[in-house]
Amino acid sequence: MILLVYAFLGMGIFFGVLGNIGVLRFPDVYTRLQASSKCGVTSLLSIFIALMLLKGLTPMTLRILVITIFFLISSPVASHVIGRRAWEQGIAPWRKKPESRD
Amino acid sequence: MDLSVPVLDVVIFVLMGISLMSMVRVIIGPTPEDRLIGLNLVVAQVAGILVVIAVKFDRSIYLDVALVYAILGFIGILAIAKYLRGRQLGE
Amino acid sequence: MDVFLRWKIIRIILTAAYLMVGWILFTGTLALFSIFLGVIFSFCIAFLTYNIFIEESEAARRALLPRIYLLLVYLGVLVFKIYLASFKMSLAVITANMNPRIVHFRTRLKSELARVVLANSITLTPGTLTLNLDEDHLIVHWLNAKTTHSHYAGRLIKSHFEAWLRRIWI
Repeated sequence: MILLVYAFLGMGIFFGVLGNIGVLRFPDVYTRLQASSKCGVTSLLSIFIALMLLKGLTPMTLRILVITIFFLISSPVASHVIGRRAWEQGIAPWRKKPESRD
Repeated sequence: MDLSVPVLDVVIFVLMGISLMSMVRVIIGPTPEDRLIGLNLVVAQVAGILVVIAVKFDRSIYLDVALVYAILGFIGILAIAKYLRGRQLGE
Repeated sequence: MDVFLRWKIIRIILTAAYLMVGWILFTGTLALFSIFLGVIFSFCIAFLTYNIFIEESEAARRALLPRIYLLLVYLGVLVFKIYLASFKMSLAVITANMNPRIVHFRTRLKSELARVVLANSITLTPGTLTLNLDEDHLIVHWLNAKTTHSHYAGRLIKSHFEAWLRRIWI
């Protein structure tokens, strides 16, 4: 059980760091949004699952569960709103260089 | 269940470092949308720090703070997106 | 009794019930005073916001009350898919190998809630991100695009989610 907690915390740190590297490295708004929406959600989800396993069945676990569910709903909606802003403003998505395509 | 190693401290410091890295994107982002992406990440990670602190010191009041912080951050991002749209349409 | 009035009362009670579930989950106690406060506050909030939470035109029973057991299975599958998506994303971050495209397609889901859940699921599954949801028309940004044909792209991206959501909501 304790190993599972360590594994989930480790995954949380791993995905958080990689997602941030992705946000700093990718070329345009949409790809950055992909990195932030996937890896940000997974890193926090892993950390919350690890904390829930650590606390066992207490009132605290219920509250962490509420925060997790709120997070699972709100985070995709926030990235959806940002992506919609970028799309309505007409920011062109980044494409691969033509010579390497096909 | 007890953790023998101070793992939660490590998690708190890593999350702090990550949120500082997200602030880099907020500062250098060429478009307003890039800055919003950075802000979204910062909000999520600060809420995560609050939850980890609540578990570490066993104070459940921090969980309320974390939930309210997450809700306010979400509403803030919605409001900023709405504001940018209004400004672009010239209202 | 007027049918609109009855529908309004049902909407208020449903909104209050959803709020009450949230209240019990967050307070974590079943003390009498806590329940009493929760009922009062959820009815006050429901009276103000029922029109936003449930629109007047959504009149199907399954559009509001999901099948709970299927929803739990769906959440489990979704969490697994989120981990898969993050692994793929990490690979893309390390190798920087991608071919992003924008694809458009339609969904056949009827209720608003099911469409929103479908859009969120698409955002959380590997390499896709919903940009716009207008009635039943979705615009999706796809990392590592295989095709830009609307029908095939829709079938690849929605895969099993649409069938599952049709059974959960409508």
